[in-house]
Amino acid sequence: MIPTPFDYIAAKSLDEAVALLGKHGEAAKILAGGHSLVPAMKLRLAQPQVLIDISRIKDLAYIREEGNSLRVGAMTTHYALESSKRVRVVSPLLAECAAAIGDVQVRNRGTIGGSVVHADPAADWPAAMIALRVEMVCAGAKGERVIKADDFFVDLLTTAIAPGEVLREIRIPLSQGRTGQSYKKVRHPASGFAVVGVAVNLGLDAAGKCANASIGVTGAAAKAFRAGGAEAALTGKPPDAAVAAAAAAKAADRQDMNSDLYASAEYRRHLVEVTARRAVLAAVGAAK
Amino acid sequence: MRLEGTHELHAPRDKVFAALTDPQVLARCIPGCESLEKQAGDVYTAKLSAGVGAIKGVFQATVRMADMRPPEHYRLIVEGKGQPGFLKGSGDMDLTEKDGITSIHYVGEASVGGLLASVGQRMVESAAKMLAGKFFSALEAEAQK
Repeated sequence: MIPTPFDYIAAKSLDEAVALLGKHGEAAKILAGGHSLVPAMKLRLAQPQVLIDISRIKDLAYIREEGNSLRVGAMTTHYALESSKRVRVVSPLLAECAAAIGDVQVRNRGTIGGSVVHADPAADWPAAMIALRVEMVCAGAKGERVIKADDFFVDLLTTAIAPGEVLREIRIPLSQGRTGQSYKKVRHPASGFAVVGVAVNLGLDAAGKCANASIGVTGAAAKAFRAGGAEAALTGKPPDAAVAAAAAAKAADRQDMNSDLYASAEYRRHLVEVTARRAVLAAVGAAK
Repeated sequence: MRLEGTHELHAPRDKVFAALTDPQVLARCIPGCESLEKQAGDVYTAKLSAGVGAIKGVFQATVRMADMRPPEHYRLIVEGKGQPGFLKGSGDMDLTEKDGITSIHYVGEASVGGLLASVGQRMVESAAKMLAGKFFSALEAEAQK
């Protein structure tokens, strides 16, 4: 449980962190809250030679409203998002998802930026990031770049962030009108990770029909994905129990489900269907 | 753990089979392959620095090819040992060609032990699929040369 030796550098600014990453290249890793990287280092599954700590950089942990979007700094902890009264009002899915992560120790230290960049296939955030259609703002040597959530999660533990880039901010578009959101998960009893997790963000029109739906699923496959079939099955329809069930069946209709000691691919398909149905109905309930 | 999949390569079967059995090509295609040397017959030893994202490990592996029936079939037997654990596996590769596209279908059994299995079990299968995908796309590029 002791990591291999490594150098530690506390960056004082984001520019310095980007410069250090450029200098040390593959040998370096960015340290955020350290709740994925440090355990992997202790098990020696990750052996970076240099750690660049960004936790002391001022102004990387914040929650701000700007126009129709919420700006969340990459170093914002899960707990800060869970406990913000304003977040609960303007973006309840963010708060609900944050509260569902691990345990209180993890939520106190772990950060939203660290989690999404690690892209664990069973992490909670990716589902919410897809459902909320967020944008990731990344800083690099050549300036900033914005990546949409749908393009961000590329594969198992792999994101669209290029080597040398650091995630700076997550921009969450705020929904207008009659909207409802929900995150439901099946927790792994030991780790708290999502065996499956489904995030739903939908809007209702004046007649109570589903005007738009955005659904992200995590834990089920090698990476979080958008449940496009389920979204189409909801849009334009009154979101009653039968429509929710039909949409949930679409969400589970995939061939690439994960299989591990805890849950087979077949069981995961079943869990996605049940969880998606519950999340859709909860979101509809929240919109009324 | 049962591994099964099909990859389609836009290249003729003869060239794909030749690439699959050429140690120099394999060394370029296997993700994280640092060296691959031919031992006796169809046995090769390899040093792999395989990993996904932040998680990496160095493995010493022995690769053996058997039941060779060019250009349609062979059996691949892999044994690897490394700092994060060990892996063992064997699988049958079947190649078919249609309209200039070669389909490689693989069915095999693999087992993973040690630390890798105890803490990484939930990701092993996805990681294997991802590395297989990388391997076959690199192989496609080689077979198109």
